[in-house]
Amino acid sequence: MRRVEVSGLSAWFGPKQVLRDVSMVAEPRAVTAIIGPSGCGKSTLIRCINRMHEEVRGARVQGKVLFDGRDVYAPDADPVEIRRRIGMVFQRANPFPTMSIFDNAVAGLRLAGRMPRDELHEQAERALRAAGLWDEVKDRLGEPGGKLSGGQQQRLCIARALAVEPEVLLLDEPASALDPASTLRIEELVQELKEQYTVVIVTHNMQQAARVSDWTLFMLYGEVVEFAPTQKVFTRPDDRRTEDYVTGRFG
Amino acid sequence: MGETRRRFHDELDALVGEILAMGELAERSIGRAVEALVTNDAAEDEAVIQGDDEIDSQYVSIEQRILALLALQTPVASDLRLITSMLHVNLHLERIGDMAVNIAKTSRSIKDLPSSGIILAHIQEMSDVVRPMIRTAMEAFAKRDLNLCLRLPEMDDPVDRLNIGMYQEVAALAGDPAKLDWGLRMILIARQLERVGDHAVDIGEQIGFLLTGEFREFTDASHPVNLPPHGA
Repeated sequence: MRRVEVSGLSAWFGPKQVLRDVSMVAEPRAVTAIIGPSGCGKSTLIRCINRMHEEVRGARVQGKVLFDGRDVYAPDADPVEIRRRIGMVFQRANPFPTMSIFDNAVAGLRLAGRMPRDELHEQAERALRAAGLWDEVKDRLGEPGGKLSGGQQQRLCIARALAVEPEVLLLDEPASALDPASTLRIEELVQELKEQYTVVIVTHNMQQAARVSDWTLFMLYGEVVEFAPTQKVFTRPDDRRTEDYVTGRFG
Repeated sequence: MGETRRRFHDELDALVGEILAMGELAERSIGRAVEALVTNDAAEDEAVIQGDDEIDSQYVSIEQRILALLALQTPVASDLRLITSMLHVNLHLERIGDMAVNIAKTSRSIKDLPSSGIILAHIQEMSDVVRPMIRTAMEAFAKRDLNLCLRLPEMDDPVDRLNIGMYQEVAALAGDPAKLDWGLRMILIARQLERVGDHAVDIGEQIGFLLTGEFREFTDASHPVNLPPHGA
């Protein structure tokens, strides 16, 4: 159920290999954090999970990503359906700035097909509630999304991702452009979301990984150095390179 | 702005509850150990010794949870002070539990020796002082009450006096080798109770640090200090 299993995954941008034989598992009802220095392949890894990587010209993937036991790279797999079931939120909050808060929340649903207005409203409320934004915007759903604060915009993007009822949520440095209070708000939200979703979060903020995740994957130069329960990674990592990274001795 | 670190603070609250429960366990264990000594109850001696496993496992569990918070939650300000003070209080309570075991083991080893009612009364008196000291320290922690902390050194004074007086009581038994043998063990037990009082004062110091952000020893064997009066 909603388990993501990456096995022997390698990825390239043209001739440049950016992932090397990566294996990891993201368990349901848990948060898996991916940490590592810039350029280590964190974002590429999650973009391979929902087949976003291949959208880049010249990008290539080898290996398996099993979702619910089925390979997302199987010839009969539908990338659009995969991206609906495995949602993604990016580093920079990117709501449609002039579109209303309501329309932003249901933008993905509208793309997926027609839906009666009251049902659309129900879904918007559910998604905005799940993203912890409902109470702040319920009286101003018609206002442009761009009017919200940075932290609210990012939660709006999370709501937009949740509205299409995904099973997995991939978060690519969702709080790196936010102030500390909004960052902590997003972290609390991530903790709430894991009750229902399989959550994978890429972050270059180690303390954030420590605070929010159950499992931590440490990557270096496109390879997995250590993958273990977060408490272990931050109290007694097995690999010297992990120790050096989490204690700030390099990176 | 709403609470942004609710889960972290929930865990802190839960740990405070565990520490308070551990305080009750440790205090009860001291009471039972002295009761078993005074009433010559061998079964109760064993119960105290066995019961320490629960305190020890609580201690380890709290220590591990605190370690996880330190490693994972980047605590700061009053949260950081609460965590470091709990780390100390946890250890003090575990040591108090060990002292109850030491008393019970000593009590177990002297069942065949003649005893002295006066000395047992002194031991009972020490227990009757140090147990409220533990309760006061834990109440100070629960209520975040600095005045309660500051009462502890004064409460500890009679314990120290009773402990010193114990030497004279035991010296008076010198004419009876069997009683003297028993009496020497009572000095060990009195010493344990005196240490329990010191641990209670140390817990008070930790709560003082938690509340004021400044650490200072309430009593210092090498450099006695003057404390402000109650309510200061």
